[in-house]
Amino acid sequence: MEIDRRAFIASLGGTAAVSLMDSEAKADSLEHWMEEQLDEQVAANQGQREKFPTVAEIDAQIETRNYRRGAGSLFVSGRGNVKKLTPMPKNPTLEDFFELRFAPANHVLQSATRALKTGMSEEIILACLLHDCVLNLIKPDHGWWGAQLFEPYIPEKSTFAIRYHQTLRFYPDADAGYEYPDQYFRIFGEDYKPPAHIEATYKMLKNHKWYMEPRLVTVNDLYAFDPNAKVSIDPFRDIVGRHFKQPKEGLGNDNSPSAHMWRTLANPDQPL
Amino acid sequence: MRAYGLTLTSFIVCLAVVAAGQMKPTNYKGLEVTPLGIERAKNVALIDCPPGNNSVRGNARGEEEFIVVNVAFKVTPSFDAKTIVKKPVLTDTAGKTYNTSVSIIDAGSMPEYKCGFPFRVPLGTKAASVAIDTATINIASLDK
Repeated sequence: MEIDRRAFIASLGGTAAVSLMDSEAKADSLEHWMEEQLDEQVAANQGQREKFPTVAEIDAQIETRNYRRGAGSLFVSGRGNVKKLTPMPKNPTLEDFFELRFAPANHVLQSATRALKTGMSEEIILACLLHDCVLNLIKPDHGWWGAQLFEPYIPEKSTFAIRYHQTLRFYPDADAGYEYPDQYFRIFGEDYKPPAHIEATYKMLKNHKWYMEPRLVTVNDLYAFDPNAKVSIDPFRDIVGRHFKQPKEGLGNDNSPSAHMWRTLANPDQPL
Repeated sequence: MRAYGLTLTSFIVCLAVVAAGQMKPTNYKGLEVTPLGIERAKNVALIDCPPGNNSVRGNARGEEEFIVVNVAFKVTPSFDAKTIVKKPVLTDTAGKTYNTSVSIIDAGSMPEYKCGFPFRVPLGTKAASVAIDTATINIASLDK
């Protein structure tokens, strides 16, 4: 498909809005935009307003790419070549990772801001702040990967919320105020059925005393895709200070069970 | 007689305008809330209130639809900007309640604004009232 660069940038709110997006968001936006253009063409031909792709149609796109959709955002550039990364400090902190590897992290910051402004607990606010950071490393099963990354350093409830928000994203819950997002029709396919391990996890969660912890992450997740939102990590410094056990050696140097994951995030250009 | 006829006509016209027009505002802790209308949809924008530009939309499937209650808000001087305003709750004519995913955030951040609150309901559900915390507003006349 031929890309109308101006129309694409305009659809995202202009160059200023694009400059605030991280590479993952840009790549996703481009993919969504192309899918929407295709849908519009199909709709124009069929007299329908919108058509979401099927699972089979999404599968058919696999061999049109030179990367896999599950690759972390640090490893794939949505446009052009990847850029050289600023080296991490000797003893890197969570904030260093936010600044040098996760930036601009708009989505997680928006999500946490919403949790803060709607009066949610600090464990939930922290979970919202961290819930998708691991997408810079890897995308499939990001709830489990994300929980593993942060587990040595954060409260158990926050870890639980991060691990299981991935599952609850597939299941609407009107009582909690969570709707199934149309973006999932686009990226998974309209006829997508979650795999058995997700269904089993959902069954377990429905009866779990902490069900609302991951559910509240999904509720905030839904509303954190505003390209014009102005967000910052400043409001969360105290919460991070209270709940994130920053190792004095620095993340990646502390021999924790997830230290290797932090090192990979710090040095994604290592060949082995 | 002619004057009486005109007066009566004007009165009927006024009644019709009031019936079809905006409802009276309800005051909730200094926030004036006025329901503007009801729409039905299968696919709705998921944008918090006051509205931003969130790009995600929600979908109703099968035998469900969204009742979207459009509401105008006016912030009066007596409203405390720190107040956390609860999400609206819809009650149908059978007394069943429904929640919305849309939150009211920073309700005092602008003097006036309009928001749409989607409620996922079974097809054909008739709306009776919408409540924000202790303020309940009858909206049955808007759901035609």
